[in-house]
Amino acid sequence: MREYELVAGLETHVELSTKTKIFCGCTTAFGSEPNTHCCPICIGLPGTMPKLNRQAVRYAIMAGLATNCEINPIAKMDRKNYVYPDLPKAYQISQYDRPLCSNGYIQLQNGRKIRILRIHIEEDAGKLVHERGDTYVDYNRGGVPLIEIVTEPDIRSIDEAIEYVEKLQLIMRYIGVSDVKMQEGSLRCDVNISVRPKGAEQLGIRAEIKNMNSFAFMQKAMQYEFERQTDLLESGEQVVQETRRYNTDTGETEPMRGKEDAHDYRYFREPDLVTIETAPQEVEQIKAALPELPDAKFARYTEAYGLSETDANILIKYRRVAEFFDAAAKLVQTPKTVSNLIITQIFRRLSTEEQKEAFEIVVTPQTLAELIALRESGKINNNLLKSTLEQMLDTGKPVAALIDEKDLGGVDEATLREICRQVVAENPAAVQDYRGGKEAAFKALIGGVMKATRGKANALQATEILKSLL
Amino acid sequence: MVTREEILDIALLAKLSVDEEKLDELTKQMMDIIAFADTINAYEGQTGEFDNINGLSNVFREDTVVASYPREQILKNVDGGENGFFPVKKKM
Repeated sequence: MREYELVAGLETHVELSTKTKIFCGCTTAFGSEPNTHCCPICIGLPGTMPKLNRQAVRYAIMAGLATNCEINPIAKMDRKNYVYPDLPKAYQISQYDRPLCSNGYIQLQNGRKIRILRIHIEEDAGKLVHERGDTYVDYNRGGVPLIEIVTEPDIRSIDEAIEYVEKLQLIMRYIGVSDVKMQEGSLRCDVNISVRPKGAEQLGIRAEIKNMNSFAFMQKAMQYEFERQTDLLESGEQVVQETRRYNTDTGETEPMRGKEDAHDYRYFREPDLVTIETAPQEVEQIKAALPELPDAKFARYTEAYGLSETDANILIKYRRVAEFFDAAAKLVQTPKTVSNLIITQIFRRLSTEEQKEAFEIVVTPQTLAELIALRESGKINNNLLKSTLEQMLDTGKPVAALIDEKDLGGVDEATLREICRQVVAENPAAVQDYRGGKEAAFKALIGGVMKATRGKANALQATEILKSLL
Repeated sequence: MVTREEILDIALLAKLSVDEEKLDELTKQMMDIIAFADTINAYEGQTGEFDNINGLSNVFREDTVVASYPREQILKNVDGGENGFFPVKKKM
């Protein structure tokens, strides 16, 4: 059997977090009674006029800039005609040949760039509910602003597809234009997938799998589709260009309809909406207001703070965690300590992704930094640092309330010198090892001092005294 | 070329009744309309410039919530709907 290569391109729909719909003032709030967030504009009654939401345009431009796109100085809206009950006007107002953003990319960890062909804005459709053979429509979602992010067919594996979507999700969360929750449908993926013999130049015929609403389904659907198309080509058959859906019960993809080409939609300019012009100064202003993005944070954490790539990746994965880390890292000499405490100790209390995402803890970056400063100045040791942090996480009390003056450098120099003499006297083996060149033996001696002082000794001072005695 | 039969077909689809004596005139008018569209088609794409038809741009609304309509009104055209939904006729 020949080896085959997977080729995929993604179309990702992201629901924008505007307060109102794209063409009317109805709320975009999720999860209300059906058809209560509707007006004559969003249910498509004749004679109504759409009016474009400024914030939706701004969010789309932010998304474009955050994914390295060019912002087109002139964009327009078009009608995409198709008949389906979730679309009350029988056309969707979208963008065809003049989208807001073009020619961007997202870079993967392996260095490959997944090119973004375009990002356009459009209105979401309503929701169909099927019950006992009948169909009902709820138009609350109809008219909610979406951006559609279309890649070139640059993806070469399922892992790359998933990494791309995860990264896109992270970027959208950082810039705050969407809550990108796959399970609530605020991020939905269509995957265009084809296969070709490894090394071939020409692309194979593609099938589109609609509406992947979880990473697990996306993974399974792509795997199934890759195998299905490979089997077809191996047996000398052709892949049919069509739209397929993933059946979660059978674990298979099945045909939905023939894949439309653009001309099937009879696109034409939306006559009720005027041109969108974006001046270069406006683009610059929006760009300047963007927060630091995940790639830039990663570079800063690994280069300026010397964190490992693994640790940096964990921190940037959650926007609030990264913000907390940044705030605390600024206040201490050893940012790595902040990172370690977050990843090991604090994350132990936040088991789910949602909890890490929300990062609701009672400790502030300031109080954590105060605690770390005590460690850095040698006033407390690692054990006391950890146990105090546990208490802080439990009670929310400030450092001062948990560590009193007695604990801080409570051992005066004379006492410390005496304790050090005792430790040296009681550990002849370690002393001999150290003198024989075993650096590690010194740790046992320091440990002895710490034990004798119940962790209150200043480690730097103890080290000095011990070394003078040896 | 447009035929009288095509005009009658269009009239039927549009649920319009057309007088026999008006048929020739309507056929000619339809041919004129199509010829005009051909003129536009021949011109399209020659300049490559974006034609901002009415010279207007950037008409926006602010992202401020306005009260939606009461559901009874939204569902008025479908006899009040069913359980708050628009029912869809079978076999669309």
